[in-house]
Parts: sequence; structure tokens; C-alpha cells
Amino acid sequence: MAAITLQGVTKRYGSVTAVQALDLAIHEGEFMVLLGPSGCGKTTTLNMIAGLEEISDGTLLFDTTDVTRLPPHKREVAMVFQSYALYPNKTVAENIAFPLKLRRVPKAEIERAVAGVAEQLELTPLLGRRPNQLSGGQRQRVALGRAIVRQPSVFLMDEPLSNLDATLRLSMRSLIKRLHHQLKATFVYVTHDQAEALTLADRIAVMRGGVVQQLDTPEGIYERPANIFVASFLGSPQINLLREGLPRPDWVAEGRDVIIGLRPEDVARPGEGLATLGGRVELVSPLGSETQLEVALSGGSVTLRVPKDWRVREGEALEFGVDPARLHAFDAATEQRIAP
Amino acid sequence: MRLRLSYDDRSAAILVFPVLAVLLVVAAYPILYSFWVSLHDIVLTRPLRRPFVWFENYERMLGDARFHTAVLRTTVYTVVTVTVTTVLAVGVALFLNESFRGNKLLNALLLLPWATPSIVNGLMWKWIYDPTYGLMNALLVKLGLLDSYRAWLGDPDLTLFLISNAAIWKQMPLAALLLLVTMKAIPDDLYRAAKVDGATVFQRFVHVTLPALKPGLMLVLVYETMISIRHFDLFLIMTQGGPGDASYTLSWLIYVETFRSLRFGTGAALSYLLAMLTFLLSWLVIRALGERNA
Repeated sequence: MAAITLQGVTKRYGSVTAVQALDLAIHEGEFMVLLGPSGCGKTTTLNMIAGLEEISDGTLLFDTTDVTRLPPHKREVAMVFQSYALYPNKTVAENIAFPLKLRRVPKAEIERAVAGVAEQLELTPLLGRRPNQLSGGQRQRVALGRAIVRQPSVFLMDEPLSNLDATLRLSMRSLIKRLHHQLKATFVYVTHDQAEALTLADRIAVMRGGVVQQLDTPEGIYERPANIFVASFLGSPQINLLREGLPRPDWVAEGRDVIIGLRPEDVARPGEGLATLGGRVELVSPLGSETQLEVALSGGSVTLRVPKDWRVREGEALEFGVDPARLHAFDAATEQRIAP
Repeated sequence: MRLRLSYDDRSAAILVFPVLAVLLVVAAYPILYSFWVSLHDIVLTRPLRRPFVWFENYERMLGDARFHTAVLRTTVYTVVTVTVTTVLAVGVALFLNESFRGNKLLNALLLLPWATPSIVNGLMWKWIYDPTYGLMNALLVKLGLLDSYRAWLGDPDLTLFLISNAAIWKQMPLAALLLLVTMKAIPDDLYRAAKVDGATVFQRFVHVTLPALKPGLMLVLVYETMISIRHFDLFLIMTQGGPGDASYTLSWLIYVETFRSLRFGTGAALSYLLAMLTFLLSWLVIRALGERNA
């Protein structure tokens, strides 16, 4: 196991700075997710941890060892790629065995390790096949197998589920989570998918423009977003952000120019202790378990998620209640959160 | 029964017909006619008597000592040319696959030898090897590696390799380009995965580059074999089969039989033997590479 510490890590490509003075402490055995839109520097950060990209500035520590200038194979990390990156001319067994073979592990030991990993990932019947004879999910399991067979202390995953269909993604997500529990190794996982980040992570680092916007637990990121970018990046449908039309929380000073945020699910029937809002229903989208509404308020339109028994029709007037404590307030100029 | 063709099939047939007709006239007819010629004893010094002799021409040539020499020389020349061309092409392709300043310019320059006409290439190397004013002599003497000028192409032990060198200079660029295209298609993630797995530069070449290069290598090997085995122009310009029989290859023998001795029958028979040899070698190369690929 290893803790990973990035101190002022910077990556520059010519005049472009991809990652800017990044400070990040990943604890031993932690599942850290780097989350952000494409081009935010998350993959570059992962590649620097792997040793696949040179670090322009700053220090990278594994526990207390400085690995900043160490080549990838000396860092004892394993990596899983979005494209699976399986060797096309090798069978499943040969793919999994490859890292051990390079380390001159005795043949009998390799066979034992490969059989163990294959069983763990349900790959045993596929061991003799080549990657082009496998489905996407099977390929990604082989890639995971190749990573875990070495028992490294750090696992790096670069959007490993992005090429899979939705159902497969769900089952692979739980497989990865189970693996993390079993292996107790440090995982660094890059994704642009908020659902993946929220379900897998111990902590999430939300990145934009090569800078970490917020580092917190999934709950903390969702419930207390540090700025408007984080608030809008997580949550589906997106958080409603209005300058007017939503009640002002009492912790926001009078006269301050603010943007108020309301998560679509933070609404209820009007009641005691709730601020009552009213508007005209513009669009009703039933989602089965609940209903998504678009409601025109005085300050703009908001998206709401309500229980399906609300029975609302398009064009009707709707009154609903909002708990002021559940509202988010951001400074209109800096876009930073105004904490209660 | 009437053959019923769909609209698409009919259009395709109509569009393909002109090309097919031209091919029949310029390719199929000469092939069949030359086979017909190879079964006759045709000598242009007595053009009116041309008896049908079945496979006598083939028999005679297969027993001819010149044919045995020619097969040996052709084999040596082909093996050397194809091997060196391919190895060099892999090296050059690997080099050009790296990103560095001036890469594009080098890519363009690489094609220059390939774009040079064969005759020009032959003359150029003949001058380089020239015993009185050749560049190679001058260079080696200036560098102190040689005491006095030598007649390079007059040395029977060297001739074949010197011609081979000229052929490699012209053929290697295309081979390198074909391999470079194959190399560019190898996903970068494979190299990154191999790096993380702990592969050295050499191991990455063996486990990632080489397997992916197989289709390109097969193309290069077959193409270069087919070209080298039938090479003629360099031999005509540089040595004319000599000194002695040092560069007496199959295509040179065909030329001598057909156009110097004017024995068209045996010339055609030899051409057929060469064609069969080309097919056989290409098939062997494809099979050897294909088996390891399966």
C-alpha cells in the first residue's frame, strides 16, 4: 500500500499549462476519483502519477519516497486504460501473465497467479481466447486482471468504463468497488461521469482548467459545492441557479449580489417551515419512479424532480415548498460558495 | 435458364466491362500467347520453321548449366536484397515514427531514391563504383581505408552485392513508408500499458511493434521478393551478367536467350519458370507469416 502526495505538481506543454501547481494528498488504501470535463487535466495528472508524462514542476511522493523522476515500471503502479490496451496477438492468459513474465517470475508461480486472477474475475473459460474474440466487458476484465496480477500498491484507472454500455457499466462499477475492498490498495480513478465518481469514491477531486476546484467526500461535494462550477457539474438534472425568484437564505448579507442554487429534488408540498413558491408548469416529463417538471418562476425557469403522485399537468399553476436550509448561495462575482 | 441480374449487378457489369476488355487484350492475351510460344521451337534466325515441341524447351533449360547458375545467383541476390531492405526499412520506419524537428522533411526526402527512375539509379551507382573516377574509390582512399582505386564491379565476389546495394537504395524507401503507415496505426495506449507493465524499449518492440507490424511486413516481403527476383535493369546497366557469370541472373538469362540468341521459344519457357518461382516464393512467405499470425 502507498499514500500518494502531489506537491505543487505542474505540467506544461510549451506555453499551455495542463495542470497547475496541484497539491493533493491521497491516503493509503483510499479510492480517489479525479472528476472533471474533458481537458481539465485529470488524465494528465493520472499519467504523471503513472510516470507516463514527465512532471514539469513539483514533487510526487509515494509514501515518503520521491518518485518524481522514476520511470513507470519502477513505481509499482498498475494502470487500466479506457481502450483496454490489451496486446492483440496474445491470449487472455498471456495478457494477464505479461507483467509477471517481464519480471522473470518463475513459470509455475505465473500459472498459479493467472489462474487465481482468472477465477476472481470469472475469466477462466476465456483464458485461451484473443482480445478480438471478447466482448467489451470481458476485455475490460482482462485489463483489470493484468493490473491486479502484480499486486501493486497503486491502481490507476483512466476512464475504464467509458467504452461500455450502460448495463455493463453498472456491473463493472460494483466489480471495481469489490476489488478495492478486497485488495485494500490505493486507487486513483479518472472519470467525467459524476455517477461513477459519487458511487465509487472515498473522496473526489473536481478539476477544471488544471486546477482542483474542490476536494471532499462525495456527500460533501454534492451537499456543499465549493463554487458554481462544482455545483453544476454534479447532479442530474443540473442544479437550478437563479439571481431572483428563489428565497434568499438568512445567512446571506442584505444587499450582497448572489446567485441562489436549488437542487431539483429539494422541493416538497408547501408546509410549515418551508418557503412557498409558485409558478406555471411548462413541461412534464414522467420518469417512472418520479416526474421531472419545468416550472416558470418570476426570476426564470427551474427544473424540479417530484414524486409521481403529484399529478401535475402542463399549463397549470403549481405551488411548492422549499426548505431555505437546503438552498445554496454563491457570490455573483467570484462564484464561490457563501457558507451558512 | 436465363440469368437474372439485379439493377446493381447489371450496372456493375457494364461499368467493369471496358477495363476487363482492355485487361484481356493487354494482359491475358500476352500471357497465353507467350505460353503458346514456349511450346514451340522459335528461333528468329529461321523465322519460317517453328515446330511444336511440347515441353522440350522447358526440359532443355532445366538441364542447362547456365540455368542452374542463374537460379543460384538470383537466389543469393533476392535473399540479400529483400533481407537488407526489410531490416533497414524497419529501422528507418522506427526512426521516422518518433516525433522530432525536421521529421516531415525527412519523410519527403526519404522518397527521393524511390522516385528516381531505375535507369538513372543504375547509372548513378555505376559511376559511384567506377574504377577511375568513382566516388566510392575517392572516399575510401581519402579515409585511408583503401590504398588504390579498385574496379569494384569487376570483382566477381562483390558484384552481386554491389548491385544489390543499388537496388536496396531505391527500394528501401517505399518499404519503410509502408511499415511506417502500419506503425502509425498502433495505438499509443499499447506502448503506455507495456511501459507500466515494465517492458524495456526492446521488449516493447518485440511485444507491441513487431506483432502489429506483421501485415505490413508480409506486404513488404512479398512485394520486395517479387521485384528482386525479376530485377533486370540494374544488371543491364551495371554488369551485363558479368564479370564471367558473377551476375548472371534468371532475368539476364532470359534476355540473352530471347534478344541476343533470338531463341524466343526457350526465352518464353524461362519466363514461365521465373513466374512460377516468383509465385512459389511469395506463397511460402505468405504462408510462413500467416501461420504465426493465426
